[in-house]
Amino acid sequence: MSTTPTAVQFDDAVQQREAATLGMWTFISTEILFFGVLFAAYTLCRTRFPEAFAEGSRHTDVLLGTAETAVLLISSCLVAVAVREVQLGGQRIATWLIAATAALGVCFLTMHGFEYVSEYHEGLVPAIRYTQSGPSAGQMEIFFCLYYFITGFHGLHVTIGVIVLLVMARRTHRGDFDQDYHTPLEMSALYWHLVDIVWIFVFPLIYLIGRSG
Amino acid sequence: MSPRSHRSGPKPPSLVVNLVVLAALLGFLALTVGTAYINMGPANVVANVGIAVAKAILVLTFYMRLKSDSPLFRIVAVSGFAWLAVLIALSLADLLTRPA
Repeated sequence: MSTTPTAVQFDDAVQQREAATLGMWTFISTEILFFGVLFAAYTLCRTRFPEAFAEGSRHTDVLLGTAETAVLLISSCLVAVAVREVQLGGQRIATWLIAATAALGVCFLTMHGFEYVSEYHEGLVPAIRYTQSGPSAGQMEIFFCLYYFITGFHGLHVTIGVIVLLVMARRTHRGDFDQDYHTPLEMSALYWHLVDIVWIFVFPLIYLIGRSG
Repeated sequence: MSPRSHRSGPKPPSLVVNLVVLAALLGFLALTVGTAYINMGPANVVANVGIAVAKAILVLTFYMRLKSDSPLFRIVAVSGFAWLAVLIALSLADLLTRPA
């Protein structure tokens, strides 16, 4: 049985968990709007310069992008199963599942790092090394600005998620969570799924436009 | 010990459900990459965004447990997307109705 006491302001553990979960969902809503502003800017600029956005998208690496998406989707499943295992009493396997999720997060960041390096060599980084020329080079710069803001902030979220997951793996290993108390792990998993959802929208909007043209 | 512990909270989805959702997500990924290479005109955007929405709903419903958890969380989750829709719709309404 868990020895974690319920905080004084709550009637019982269920109410405490619901308050924490409500707070997490409120935070997730604000995160949706945070990334939403970037997606709104993307929508407006793409409506204005469709050709340049399609051309910019063709410069991105669709193979790496697809692999990154698959990695994040699998990691989301792993952490969902990890929470389930803790709820059923399987802390040992849950520890490994959470560690594997964090490892996939690192894998994602590494792949994206390779993309950034090759884009730097291609001269696709606005203000730092942008060597594109041609009629739509200026408009394409807007695409790459948005690309770096969206993927950069997303990468920051992945990095935070990896750190949080490593802490959770350690705490699960230590036996902090059991069937009766696992709210921090549940909230961390929600955060990781949010990171996944953001990427689900980033992937088609950045990598897949203008592929059939 | 409190009489109501987390045990009385929502039951986690089964392992099979988790894996079926993952298979569906990866299937949608293959579908969205595949359709991107077929020239469907404006339908390409609809397919890409539509598939992304379907994937997001799968993650929200099963992995984030909106299906089994308190309805209050569903309202909060929808509110974020609803305000985002307002933001994008009104911004586009401005851009698309400006004289050339």
